[in-house]
Amino acid sequence: MGILPDEIQPAMQGVIPSHVVTCSGDGTPNASAISQVYYVDPDHVALSHQFFNKTIRNVRENPRALVWVISPATFDSWDLELEYDHSETSGPVFEALDMQIEAIASIVGLKGIFKLRSADIYRVISVTKNVDERIPLPEIDDPPGPR
Amino acid sequence: MAAEDAGSPGLREQIAQNQQTIDRLNRDLAKKSDQVRIIQQISSEITSTLDLDRVLEIVLRATERVLGFQHSMILLEDLAENTLRLFASRGYDPSGVGAEVAFGEGVIGVVAERKRMMRVGNVGASIAYLTSIRARLEASGEMAPGPPAAKLPGLPNVQSQLALPLLVKDRLVGVLAVESPKPNAFDELDEILLGIVGNQAATAIDNARTYQLVEKLSRLKRFFSPQLAELIVTGGADDPLKTHRREVTVVFLDLRGFTAFAETSEPEEVMGVLREYHAEMGTLILEHEGTLERFTGDGMMVFFNDPVPLPNPAERAVRMAVVMRDRVTALIRRWRKRGYELDLGVGVAQGYATIGAIGFEGRWDYGAIGTVTNLAARLCGEAKPGQILISLRVAGEVEDLIEAEEVGPLTLKGLAKPVPAFHVVRLKGPE
Repeated sequence: MGILPDEIQPAMQGVIPSHVVTCSGDGTPNASAISQVYYVDPDHVALSHQFFNKTIRNVRENPRALVWVISPATFDSWDLELEYDHSETSGPVFEALDMQIEAIASIVGLKGIFKLRSADIYRVISVTKNVDERIPLPEIDDPPGPR
Repeated sequence: MAAEDAGSPGLREQIAQNQQTIDRLNRDLAKKSDQVRIIQQISSEITSTLDLDRVLEIVLRATERVLGFQHSMILLEDLAENTLRLFASRGYDPSGVGAEVAFGEGVIGVVAERKRMMRVGNVGASIAYLTSIRARLEASGEMAPGPPAAKLPGLPNVQSQLALPLLVKDRLVGVLAVESPKPNAFDELDEILLGIVGNQAATAIDNARTYQLVEKLSRLKRFFSPQLAELIVTGGADDPLKTHRREVTVVFLDLRGFTAFAETSEPEEVMGVLREYHAEMGTLILEHEGTLERFTGDGMMVFFNDPVPLPNPAERAVRMAVVMRDRVTALIRRWRKRGYELDLGVGVAQGYATIGAIGFEGRWDYGAIGTVTNLAARLCGEAKPGQILISLRVAGEVEDLIEAEEVGPLTLKGLAKPVPAFHVVRLKGPE
């Protein structure tokens, strides 16, 4: 039994951007928005590495990270404590992320420019559902029914 | 149950969670039994027809009825263009049939290229995100401004897409895609269910397409040489009908005395002779892989090395001519008994010709134009009964294979200088 609950999966489809907090080697914190936290398995998530930025640099110096993910269906949100484990440049996780990024990039004319360098795999240390901190957003009018 | 009976908030939450788990398991179970139903429903229907449109309709109908996906489409590989073409859709207005998707373009194009399923629940958000990145790159001058987002078939407000490669033994047949204007509309179970439909669909579609191809081919083969028909159907990189220049060996043959025979005989007799003659010659042309350019009554023009390049075109042409002479000799014996005075003359030449579709909109022929066809026709005209006259160029190619007599030089109409020619007496036997 892994640490990530099933109900968190909708929050990992990139519908609502997530936020990630990291620290550099000297302890300088950084917070930034990321388009998607990818569900790998019940104990791991992946972040995509397209451009070299502060998050990418920080976790290579200091592997701890905290992400905040939000479900677009219920607006439930979770805090995930993570530890950067390794980067993959091939294999099923990389392939799945790469396909998705290439598909969208090709639509907006960024094929070959906006592309995946690596899938960074993080181990999930803890999951906390923010029960008392619902995101103050209006309910979306999206009744269940045929798709 | 009153609120206070439920005990502590922790317990209440536990009960709620258990209920969620039970609901989920029930849903999973319902989906599992759906799987069995899908297999039963689709497989019998789908395998009972070879009609492609019917197969596609069954697949899309099942996708909606059994799986509940309202917007679905099937794109098939366009064998000629190396793209995907939308063949059928359900839940779209207009249907989009005929639209093209390049390999590697969008979710469907990438699925086709990689032959892997893809599920995206945030198409709209992703496009918005990358569009903003692009705008930034363009503003900073890192990227030249270009055309806006590609127009792909599908819902204009698509948020979720699940696209599945249709594979037969790892060969791509097409892509089955479902879409939704809602984000995160599809989950892992949907992948599994659609996968079941897709597996069956791929085989049925492939069979139906193969059947269609064979049908088309057999129709085309009535009008074109088999090689050309196959090239047209499979559509190689180059359009075989486009005008091109190539060295070919051209064989002309006609029946000596045919005009006189046709004038003095009943049409039924003439047709009878032509049928026998064409049937025999046609078989030999196929055997030697020649391309029959045309029939004109008793005359025929055959060329070698086009549309499919062949090794030893001159040798094939001469061997065919010799066998034709043998067969016609047998036919002549029969015809003589009926009082017909006919004989065969053949001319063979080799050289460059301009080849391709010749004609006008509404009526095209595959033909060859060049001095080589003229020379072969003139040699044929000069040939005495039973003679196979070959040009110097052809003689050079086959000198080791034949016993020949020099004839000429011949002064031929349309050619400035007299040309040497050779009569093929026989093929040399094995040494």
